[in-house]
Amino acid sequence: MFSRLSCRTLSSRGQRTLSLFSSSGSSNWTKVVSDAEKIVGYPTSFMSLRCLLSDELSNVAMHVRKLVGTQHPLLNTARGFVYDSKNNLQMRGLVVLLLSKAAGPSHAASDLLTQDMVSGIYPSQRNLAEITELIHTAFLVHRGIVNLKEWTVSDGPLKDMQFGNKMAVLSGDFLLANACTGLAQLDNTKVVEMISSAIGDIVQGLYYENSNNVEENSLTDGIDMAAWEEQAFLSHGALLAKSCQAAMELAKHNEKSQRMAYMYGKHLSLGHKLNYDLQPFVKSTGEPATFSFSAAPVVFHRKIVGEETWQRQLQQLLAAVKSEKGVSSAVDLCCYHGNKALEAIQAFPSSEARSALENIASAITKF
Amino acid sequence: MHAASAAEHGGSVVEPVPEVEHKSRLLVHTVPSCCYRTIHSDAKPKDPFTLAQSDLKSLYDDIRKELFVSKEELKFLCDYYFDGKGKAIRPMIVVLMARALNIHSNRAGDLLPGQRAIAMISEMIHTASLVHDDVIDGSDKRRGKNTINNMWGERKAILVGDFILSAASMALARIGNITVVKVLSQVIEDLVRGEFMQLGSKENENERFKHYLEKTFKKTASLIANSCKAVSILVNSDPEVHEIAYQYGKNVGIAFQLVDDVLDFTSGASHLGKPTAADLKLGLATGPVLFACQQFPELHAMIMRRFSTKGDVDRAWQYVLQSDGVQQTNYLAQRYCQEAIRQVSMLRPSPERDALIRLTEMVLTRDK
Repeated sequence: MFSRLSCRTLSSRGQRTLSLFSSSGSSNWTKVVSDAEKIVGYPTSFMSLRCLLSDELSNVAMHVRKLVGTQHPLLNTARGFVYDSKNNLQMRGLVVLLLSKAAGPSHAASDLLTQDMVSGIYPSQRNLAEITELIHTAFLVHRGIVNLKEWTVSDGPLKDMQFGNKMAVLSGDFLLANACTGLAQLDNTKVVEMISSAIGDIVQGLYYENSNNVEENSLTDGIDMAAWEEQAFLSHGALLAKSCQAAMELAKHNEKSQRMAYMYGKHLSLGHKLNYDLQPFVKSTGEPATFSFSAAPVVFHRKIVGEETWQRQLQQLLAAVKSEKGVSSAVDLCCYHGNKALEAIQAFPSSEARSALENIASAITKF
Repeated sequence: MHAASAAEHGGSVVEPVPEVEHKSRLLVHTVPSCCYRTIHSDAKPKDPFTLAQSDLKSLYDDIRKELFVSKEELKFLCDYYFDGKGKAIRPMIVVLMARALNIHSNRAGDLLPGQRAIAMISEMIHTASLVHDDVIDGSDKRRGKNTINNMWGERKAILVGDFILSAASMALARIGNITVVKVLSQVIEDLVRGEFMQLGSKENENERFKHYLEKTFKKTASLIANSCKAVSILVNSDPEVHEIAYQYGKNVGIAFQLVDDVLDFTSGASHLGKPTAADLKLGLATGPVLFACQQFPELHAMIMRRFSTKGDVDRAWQYVLQSDGVQQTNYLAQRYCQEAIRQVSMLRPSPERDALIRLTEMVLTRDK
């Protein structure tokens, strides 16, 4: 298992360990993304605008304002839509667009006309990118639902939590419903099946998301890397992987293109997740960082050092993780996935779009 | 009155209907193409449940097979409401309509695989929406069982609903007909929009009723109407036949919900498996209340504040029972059933078609 963690495949990787802890990571990422957005024609942050401006969601926005001052998670989710962060809101859609462009025009006999392409992307592929974002957003919103039986007085008035839940369920459902009708409009039942299965994957991935937390699961031994990857793929990788594949199917590209697109999406997402999980452990800002116990470095660390040590280290958790090999294991795995994504994208002809995808894959391995 | 007496005769009305003439080309021609038609075929009307039974027998088993998931608890929750104890009205309507349409289209009555799938999918979409509704409404009981949100929490309940929906979508895609996918995806959107419509209250009385009927269509009738339309698409290319199926489903669906709204006022808690005046307690003004407004203007203010003031629910309930709101709603339901009968009667006679007619009576007379 650990053999694939060596990052010695490409010579430029040698550079990587030096830049691993540099703080120029985030400006590099922003540049990569903004360059990529130019290639596909517009800032993808506005992709779901049409949906977000609908009557229903305006209605919700009005109601969500009532949540200001409460502790319902929906407020944070909503805030996140307004204030962009390094974890680009519309990254998935952007990748789908780029991949569509990188794969080029359809070679199969189909109704797809080159003149319908805008910036080298078919309208159906653009719509798919938007649908991918809708689904991703829907689950961000649905994750913000709280269990009312766990409510305590310190959470604030119960009715705020009930109300917030109601808004979260409705808006998430609205986004999913729009995704479903959007999928139907793509006129391709294979794609409908693919993306619907991704929704099922996300549910399975999220179902036990919280049970990796020590509070709920302190009796277990922790999970190993393979199990972590499986879980992470379901909750974070399946959607992008299958959307990338679907984008190829929409343009009737061959099976190999579909497979490679899937691989790119899968490995990129996993690398991205690892990058995200690693942030609190590789940044050296003075402030206390928060992180989840299900973050990759923590999970791997727990398995490596054993349960007893883990319990003891809970008090010094962040420093302890940094001092062991969990961080570097996760970094290595992140490099691995970044490399695999780079390998997969080589299957597509050289182009600006492909270079942008290469840059994105490289950028996720920088810290 | 004409429509009321039709209901009393149990649907065996003979009436002149001019517009049927241009449709006579469509009718397959055991029916004389003169300007009136009998609604009963020669055979006795059969009980819908009995007729649909063989198709529905393994329905829930098959749905459970679609809910393929490795995690035990998630699997348990997904299967939770597919225990065969629900009324299965929707799948029943779908299979009967499918058979009636197959016969109308000059084939044997047996269901096409895609039609069977649609019966399953309609029940799955319905159940997924119920699971979410229970979270939205904070319900702790459904069909006599504890709700998923009550036992396992809101987070898991929402995920379960999402999963059932995704399984329904996959099954839908596998039928392989993109038009059918579009028709049933519309339902998913309608269900959510219907739920959103319940968030607000309309000031204007006239608008209120229209709003209520539109919400009723989206939340209840759309699924039945579009499922009927979907099965028609699979067997027949004539858009007028699709429209017949759709209109039957739409009208019977609205009637079904109107009666449901009445039962919320008139039946006791133990009967339905859920508490009564539930709609009032949720702040919702349904048919009986809207009608009662005409006699008790005090209800206006209560409706606008969604029965939130202490004592509102009880007072409103009293007003409704004192008014003719219940009777008016029932009468409206009858009229929708009449329209449903009129539509489905345009299909070639068959036991299934007659069962669909019989079903409208059952919708009107059910007590739970």
